[in-house]
Amino acid sequence: MIAASLERWHEVQQFLFREARLLDERRFAQWLALFDPDAEYWVPYAWQQQSPKDHVSLYYETVKLLGMRVDRLARELSPLDTPPARVNHYLSNVTVEEGEGELVARAYLLFVEYRRAEQRWFAGRSTWRLRPAAGDFRIAAKRVDLLNADQESGHLRFAVPF
Amino acid sequence: MHDVSRLVERGRSHRRLYTDPALFALEMERIFRRAWLWLGHESQLREPGAFFCTRMAGERVIVVRHHDGAVYALHNRCPHRGAEVCALPSGTVHSFVCPYHAWTFRTDGALASVPLEHGYAAGFKAGERVGLERVPRVASYRGFLFGNLSPQGEDLETFLGPEVRAAFDNLVDRAPDGDVELAGGKTVQRYRGNWKLQMENSIDLLHPRILHRSAIDAADRVDHGGEPPSIEWDIVKANGLTLREWDGMRVAALPRGHCWMGGFLTAAIDERARDTPYYRRMVARHGEARVREILSFNRHNTIVYPGLFVNSRLAQIRQLQPVSVDCTEQHGYIFRLKGAPEELFEASVRMVNTNNSPSSIVTSDDHEIFERIQESLAAGRHEWVDLSRGLARDDAPEGTNEAPMRNQHRAWAQYMQG
Repeated sequence: MIAASLERWHEVQQFLFREARLLDERRFAQWLALFDPDAEYWVPYAWQQQSPKDHVSLYYETVKLLGMRVDRLARELSPLDTPPARVNHYLSNVTVEEGEGELVARAYLLFVEYRRAEQRWFAGRSTWRLRPAAGDFRIAAKRVDLLNADQESGHLRFAVPF
Repeated sequence: MHDVSRLVERGRSHRRLYTDPALFALEMERIFRRAWLWLGHESQLREPGAFFCTRMAGERVIVVRHHDGAVYALHNRCPHRGAEVCALPSGTVHSFVCPYHAWTFRTDGALASVPLEHGYAAGFKAGERVGLERVPRVASYRGFLFGNLSPQGEDLETFLGPEVRAAFDNLVDRAPDGDVELAGGKTVQRYRGNWKLQMENSIDLLHPRILHRSAIDAADRVDHGGEPPSIEWDIVKANGLTLREWDGMRVAALPRGHCWMGGFLTAAIDERARDTPYYRRMVARHGEARVREILSFNRHNTIVYPGLFVNSRLAQIRQLQPVSVDCTEQHGYIFRLKGAPEELFEASVRMVNTNNSPSSIVTSDDHEIFERIQESLAAGRHEWVDLSRGLARDDAPEGTNEAPMRNQHRAWAQYMQG
């Protein structure tokens, strides 16, 4: 892997901003379409977690499971999401490395959620494995490491993905 | 202090059970300091000096194996000035050293040394109250460790009773090697509601088809594309039994507020199990007849009052840690069945991710409802919560009968009056 060109870096960053915006605007079907069919979405429970297989995760989902999750949100039947959460995904410190047929993008994430008289903040580091696809990109894997993933007192429930 | 006897009536309970901070303090004293509380599993304490931290009735304790093999539960609080002595969740130590003034304790809690010992009177170290205070009683049932903050009372096996012991037995018996280990980390779900709301919800078979409709509907719409459905899908979909099917489920109210409910996961899980390396390994060890007996133990949760959920089929235990009258943590743990293929453990991990992570699309709706209940019970003129469903059939309850909840509240009243 080598550091991507300025142009490539810009393209990838625009792609990441688009992904964030699709989530923030609750365009879940379009968000899901950014993923390869065999992609994984992973939010580890432990700091520097090595594997999702032998340790619990906050999320560890195939595209099919993610689809079930966002389908539920899109139909607004869930008490958890009534009224719907408003979220912003802020991305910064974006870096892009390029290899054979694949790119790795990294960013710092600030996730702000407002719902039912309360605003919450999560900070984390996001990593994407991307594949170039017809002038665009597809997500082969997305991982989000929350700074407080393993917070001892636990977390209140999550609705919209990080 | 409180006339608690008037707060639980036949078929209804007073909202103060969920909202009164003074009653919560009394619950810690009279329920959580008297009942046997689950601490962890012996597999977490393999060698001398191995320890893990947990909480009992809100107090921090260290559970540790001493060099003579005995297991102690020690209050994680320096007898000197009150600092937390051990800040790590688990590990292995020679001794515990308080970070404030270096009071040093052996793994049985005894004080080993203090700096400049001549600053105290002679014989100081042999005195009472200079060691880490021990939890009066620690006992193990088939490797599952329990502690009791009261020096008196019935022993662990009596407290659990045969029906609850059967759930622990079944969890261990499902391991081809007859042993399990706690592994894979844990989940912690927090909700801003009283602990009893989860106790009741876990035996409430009327709610799944209704409250979890959005998740069930989403599962119904999944196109599997000819592939077998995932274990995560199964667990979501299983909530979608009809109300009549839920009503036909077996439930049992047991002494001391305990209870259990029958299994409800789709038959497909069992059918798939028959043609697996796990099944063949079990049969090789135990013979077909015994294996069928073990695997046909058809229960979902066995609920131990005041806050433990045992699920032998999913190799999972959940525990409630009440934080305050209106805040509760639910901790989810998984067990690896020794001698079973690793895929089985990985499936348990995935099921806990799906069901008991803060991202769960099932339990998140439960917790959302708990918070709305908590908010509305906290104010207003309505004094009572209704628990009268099936009141005439307490002795032989149908699935949606609220008898096991009434049984919990009767146990509450008994503990609280004593």
